[in-house]
Amino acid sequence: MSLEAAREREWAAEPTGAPAAAGGRRTAWARRAAGHVLPAAAGPALALAAWEAWVRLDHVKPYLVPAPSRVAERLYADPWFFFAEGLKTLEGAALGFAAGASIAVLLAAVMSQARFLERSIFPLAILVKVTPIVAIAPLLTIWFGFGLMPKVFIAALIVFFPIMVNALIGFRSVNPNALALFESLAAGRAEVFFRLRLPSSLPYLFAAFRFSVPLSVIGAVVAEWFSGDRGLGSVIYIANNNLDMATAFAGIFTLALLGVALFLVTTAAERKVLFWHESNWDVR
Amino acid sequence: MTEQPHVLIDGVEMVYAGAGGSLRALEGIELAVRRGEFVSIIGPSGCGKSTLLRLVGGLLEPTAGRVLIDGRPPRRAQREKQIGFVFQDPSLLPWRNVIENVRLPLQLSRRGNGGAPAPDPGALVDLVGLREFSRYYPHQLSGGMQQRVALARCLVTAPSLLLMDEPFGALDEITRSAMRYELLRLWGSEAAGGGCTALFVTHSVTEAVLLSDRVAVLTPRPGRVAAVLDVDLPRPRSETMELEPDFLDHVRRLRGLLRERAPV
Repeated sequence: MSLEAAREREWAAEPTGAPAAAGGRRTAWARRAAGHVLPAAAGPALALAAWEAWVRLDHVKPYLVPAPSRVAERLYADPWFFFAEGLKTLEGAALGFAAGASIAVLLAAVMSQARFLERSIFPLAILVKVTPIVAIAPLLTIWFGFGLMPKVFIAALIVFFPIMVNALIGFRSVNPNALALFESLAAGRAEVFFRLRLPSSLPYLFAAFRFSVPLSVIGAVVAEWFSGDRGLGSVIYIANNNLDMATAFAGIFTLALLGVALFLVTTAAERKVLFWHESNWDVR
Repeated sequence: MTEQPHVLIDGVEMVYAGAGGSLRALEGIELAVRRGEFVSIIGPSGCGKSTLLRLVGGLLEPTAGRVLIDGRPPRRAQREKQIGFVFQDPSLLPWRNVIENVRLPLQLSRRGNGGAPAPDPGALVDLVGLREFSRYYPHQLSGGMQQRVALARCLVTAPSLLLMDEPFGALDEITRSAMRYELLRLWGSEAAGGGCTALFVTHSVTEAVLLSDRVAVLTPRPGRVAAVLDVDLPRPRSETMELEPDFLDHVRRLRGLLRERAPV
């Protein structure tokens, strides 16, 4: 029967992205390391070498620019100090990100329900967006004092707008036929939101997370400059004032490491959550 | 006493108000579909076929006239999950695997789901020949397989009315031909509720004759029912039948109706 034949043929066609055999995992890892990590590490290594050579050959003053080896020495002498200060910065950034992202997604969810809600909430959000954060940072010290609160506030403020805009686009970017299907089954607003709009928005949300996670660290550091007693921001600020460039650069280096770690975590989470989305398929 | 039609389309008119003026999509549509009947709607593109199907499904409200399902408004049938929709794209949820996609209608608006016991989603996945693929995600399946999942999904609530909007329109000819028989097999099978009423939108003449008891020909702008062709071919229909004079005669007559009454 040709119906059977057609089905056979369909089955025979190997589905794209079928689960890979477990045996190939180890070699795949090695190949990944060779293909991704080595080229990525080569650039920074070359830059550091050139920097070291320049400082040594040109006898640059250490209070202007320290050699990478001096920065490494400073880090090696007291790694836990930088680790602990880094954790303080991370704490402010993470809490701020969580607060800002939650409010942004919540407001976007409300706005996605009706145009008039969007028209009344969006201008407020724009007002928040266009106010320079650096201008209000000193005020926060007056209001909240030193410590965690100003960091959380500024980090939340800085991530709020991009996440809200992307979430709103995501909630609206729904396959129209899928929406018709939900309607033909008499699905309620809440069902449409949680089972259709929210999952559909995830690619847009993760796109926003990719750049707003580093933004939240910037927000925390800015807050630490103005009102920090702890954290890498204040470490760099104080070291700058003391012309202690080795410590300042060690702080900057730790911040960069923190940024890379957060980026990797975000990307890994995205691959895990969005395995079904075309942005995560390997190009063949 | 005359039997009440399962679907009654009574003087339906649909006017879309747009930025560039209003568009008269449908006008004076009259069509009564008996219970268990398979009716195709055929016509050139842009003649309002999809609009008509959406009106029957309660996704749109007509600007004049009325649509009744079992003598009641379509919204009521929606709440009782009497309507199974299949679209041209499978519109599966990409974050759900096959079995989860098929289960979706059972998870929505559960209050309304009293009454008839629903078929087992797993059995339906078997029925459409995807047993080995029930844990696969849509992006791992071919277009034909995805549309099979959509068919299984629409049958999971044991609907009494199937509304299909060019469901095989995006498939290649070989898959398409196989899917027609697959649909006939499902439509007649006990597991799928056995002989529900079907409204099928298509622009393929062969497809319309092969599947239907009757074919309604729609004219474009504004859409009107120009003619209704009775298909007097025995069931079950088979592939050998497609070459028989009787079948070809129906195809010829339908082509003729389309040419005369619904010129592009």
